[in-house]
Amino acid sequence: MGGPSPPHDGWLLDITESSDGRSVVLWVKERQSGRVRRTAVEFRPPFFVTGPRAELSALAGRLRGLPVVASVELGSGRLSLFDARPRPQLSVVPAENPGRRALARTIDALGRYEAFTLYDVDLSPPQLYHLAHDLYPFAPVTGKGAELRATEPAETIDYAMPPLSVARFEIALKGERRGRLPPPDGRIGSVRVGDLTVEGEDEASVLRALVDELARSEPDVLLSRGGDAFDLPWLYRRALACGLTPKEFVLGREPAPFRAARPARSFESYGRVLYRSALYPLPGRFHIDRQNSFLFDDSELAGLVDAARLSRLSLQTVVRQSPGTCFTAMEMAEALRLGVRVPWKKNRPEEFRTGEELVAADRGGVIFLPPVGVHDRIDEFDFASLYPHIMVRKNLSAETLECRCCPKSPIRAPGLGYRSCTRRRGLIPRTLAPLLERRLAYKAALKQPGLPPARAEELSRRVKMLKWILVTAFGYQGYRNARFGRIECHEAINAYARELLAALLAEAERAGYRVVHGIVDSLWLRPIDPDRPPEPEEFARNASERFDLPLSYEGRYRWIVFLPAVTHGLGVPNRYYGLYEHGEYKLRGIGGRRHDTPGLLRRFELEVLDLFRRAPDAEGVRALLPRALARADLFAAKVRELSWPVDELVISHRLGQPPSAFVTFTDSVAALRQLHDAGAVRSAGEIVRFVLLDRKSRSFRDRVRAAELLDGSERYDADAYLELLAREAETLLAPLGVRRAELLERWGVAEPLPRAPYRSPERRAQRSLPGVPSG
Amino acid sequence: MGRTAPTYRQALEERLKRWDEFARLLTTPEDRAAFDLVRTAARRYVAQATYVGSPDLLESILLSVLTDLAGKLASSPAARGSSR
Repeated sequence: MGGPSPPHDGWLLDITESSDGRSVVLWVKERQSGRVRRTAVEFRPPFFVTGPRAELSALAGRLRGLPVVASVELGSGRLSLFDARPRPQLSVVPAENPGRRALARTIDALGRYEAFTLYDVDLSPPQLYHLAHDLYPFAPVTGKGAELRATEPAETIDYAMPPLSVARFEIALKGERRGRLPPPDGRIGSVRVGDLTVEGEDEASVLRALVDELARSEPDVLLSRGGDAFDLPWLYRRALACGLTPKEFVLGREPAPFRAARPARSFESYGRVLYRSALYPLPGRFHIDRQNSFLFDDSELAGLVDAARLSRLSLQTVVRQSPGTCFTAMEMAEALRLGVRVPWKKNRPEEFRTGEELVAADRGGVIFLPPVGVHDRIDEFDFASLYPHIMVRKNLSAETLECRCCPKSPIRAPGLGYRSCTRRRGLIPRTLAPLLERRLAYKAALKQPGLPPARAEELSRRVKMLKWILVTAFGYQGYRNARFGRIECHEAINAYARELLAALLAEAERAGYRVVHGIVDSLWLRPIDPDRPPEPEEFARNASERFDLPLSYEGRYRWIVFLPAVTHGLGVPNRYYGLYEHGEYKLRGIGGRRHDTPGLLRRFELEVLDLFRRAPDAEGVRALLPRALARADLFAAKVRELSWPVDELVISHRLGQPPSAFVTFTDSVAALRQLHDAGAVRSAGEIVRFVLLDRKSRSFRDRVRAAELLDGSERYDADAYLELLAREAETLLAPLGVRRAELLERWGVAEPLPRAPYRSPERRAQRSLPGVPSG
Repeated sequence: MGRTAPTYRQALEERLKRWDEFARLLTTPEDRAAFDLVRTAARRYVAQATYVGSPDLLESILLSVLTDLAGKLASSPAARGSSR
C-alpha cells in the first residue's frame, strides 16, 4: 500500500437526481476553497428489453411517438450472464428519469409479463452515471460537469478520507424533555448544529436562523439520533406552520419538498419484523440518523465511505440500507463492467428435484451441541470469511454452476455433485475476491507498528463494514429475490463447508485435540493430553495450508461456560461466555449482547462477569459461585425495597405485528394503549418500551407505564422484576447448578396467582386496538 | 427463512411431539423417566444426523438413540467389570 495519489481538484460527494427529470446533479467539494459546487449534467440513461424479435419490433412501433418515451432503438447484444450469443434487444430512453419504472411496468404488461425480460430498470440514474463515467462517491476528481473524472479507481485500497465536516444535529421543543411524548403543536425552541445552538423566543426566527447557520457553517454531514423519525419531520411541520416555503426553508444545499421521499415502512428480515423510518433527503448534504442505520454503529463514517465507494451508492442510501443492498450494488457494478446488464426481476426458477434430493441438498452448516458446563484449557479456531472464500475458490456463481461448457468439471460440490465452470470466472467470485483482498490488506495494515490511533480506528471500521458485506454475500445466494442469487449455490457452499469441517475434525484429533464444540466455521478444542498440548498456531498454519483456506487461532480460554436450553437442558450452540487468556470476554446469546435487556439485568450480568474475571480456570469459576449468589441476593433486596431507579427497569419489546393485530392482552398491548391515548401510534417492527407496575392487573392503565410517559415516581412491580432477575441468574449460572425456582423461594417471591376475572372499567376495549391503523 | 424442506432439527421436534402421545399412557415414574432419556438421546446427535442428510428421519433418530445407549452401556460399571 502507499504511493502518492495524482493531483485532484476536489472530491465528488454525491450525485443526486435533478428535479427537472432529465439530468443529474454532481456535488463536488473543491479542494482549495472547501466549498461545494453544484453542476447539473443532462443524463437520461436507457433501460433494455429482450424478447422474440417480432414482438420487439412491434413493441418499438408502439413506443415510438409516446410522450413518455424519448427514444427507442432496436439492436442486439448479450445482456444476460447466461447468454451464449447476442440476442435482439431494445434500448428505451424514458422522457423523464422518474418515469423509468412506470414505463418499464407498462412494457412488461404489454408482453403479458412473459414475453419480455427487462434490464437496468431499477438502477437509479445517479448509480448509472457513476458506472458509465468510472466515478464513485468520494472520488478525488478533476474536470468539471460532464468532463468530471476520478483520479484513481474506486478499488484503491490506500486512499485518503475526503475532508467531510460533520455537525451534530438536534432540535429541542420548548418546555419539553427529549424522549417524552411531545404535544402535537410542540414549538421548536432551539436547534443544535455542531457546537452552536440556535435559539430564540420566536419560532419562525429560530427556523430562519437555522437556515442561515447551515449556509454559514456549511456542514457536509448532519449527525442525529432519531432525525428521520423526529427532528426532520418536526422541523418541516413547524416550518409549514410558520408559513415558510420549501424555497425559504432549505436544510440541504438546494430546496427540497417538505414531504418524505420514501415513507416509513415495516418489513421482515431473518424472521424478525423491523421498522424503518421515512427518508427526508437533503440534496447536497448528508443526514445520518444513528437510530435509523444498521451499519453506522459498527462502521462509522470510515466504513460507510468505503462501502459507498465500492457500491457506487450515495452515502445517504448506504447509511439507511442493509449490507445486502451494498453487496447487490457491488454485483451490479461488476456485471456492468463485464458488459452485461442487470435483470429487473429474477427470472430463474429452481430446478425440479425429488423430495429426497431436496432433503439431501437443503442443509445448513455443521452445528454441534456443546457440552453444558464450565470448561477450561480450550483453544478456539475460526475460518476467516469462510463462505466467501469457498465461493471464490470453487467458482460458485449462478451462471458458473452446472454450466453447459464443462460437463467434466472436476470441481463438484461434495455429496450433491453440482459442477462449477472451469472456463470462466463467475460474477460472485469476481465481486468477492477484491473484497477479501481488501479486508486482508486492511487487517495487515492494522498490524503495522506505530500506526496512528485515528488511522487504526478508520481501518478497523472498514474491516467491520467489509465483514458485514461478506456475511450477506452468502445469505443472498439463497434469497428468492436476490438478483444474481441461485439456491443451488447456497446449497453448494454449505456442502463444501460441511465437508471441510468434517475433515478438520479428523485433522484436529491427529494433532492431539479433542473436539468440544463446533459451529459452521469455528472450532473449540481441548488438548487430549493436558501436559503435552499441541501448539495452536502451528495447528492453524498446517490446517490453513492443507485446506487452502485461512484458519486462524482466536485464542485460549481460561474458562468458558456453555449454557443449556431451558426446554431440554442440552447445550445451545450459540449461547456461551468465556474469558480468553488475554483477558477479554467473548459473550454470545446472553443478555448484555441484546439491546432490549433492562438495565437491571445488564448490570447484574456485568457484576457476575466482573467477579468471574478473577477465576483462572473452571475450578476458580465454581469456587466463586457463592459470591455470585450473594450479589444476586443484594440485587434482589434492593429491588424488593422498591429503590431501584425506574429507567433501569424499562423493558423493550419489538412489535412483531401491527398493534391492531394483537388478540391477547399483554404488557406491550397495555403500553400501546397508553401511547395511543396520548396520541402516539406505533407500527409493526417499532419498539415499545415500558415498566411493569402491576403484572396481575387487567387494566392497561395500571399494568405498565409506557417509557415515554414515565415521571420517575412510579411504584414498580417488585415480584415481576425479581422473577426476571432470577431468570437472568439462571441463564448465566445454570451450569453451576443455580435454579430459578430455588432463587425465587429464597427471595420470598410467591408463585404468580391465577389471574383474577376481568374487573377493570376498560375491559371491553383493551385487548386489542381496533382504531389504530396498522402502519 | 424460505426453506422448502424442514431441517432435521425441525423434523425431529415434530416427531417428538407425536411421541408425547406415547408418553401420556406410560404409567410408572420409571417408565416416564426412561422415556425422557430416549427423548434427550434423540436430540443429542443433531449435528451428525444433519450431516448425513438421510431422507429417513427414523434412521437418524435410531442411530442417535442407539449411540447414546451404547455409550452409556460401555461406561456402566457392569460393562467395565466384564471387560477386565
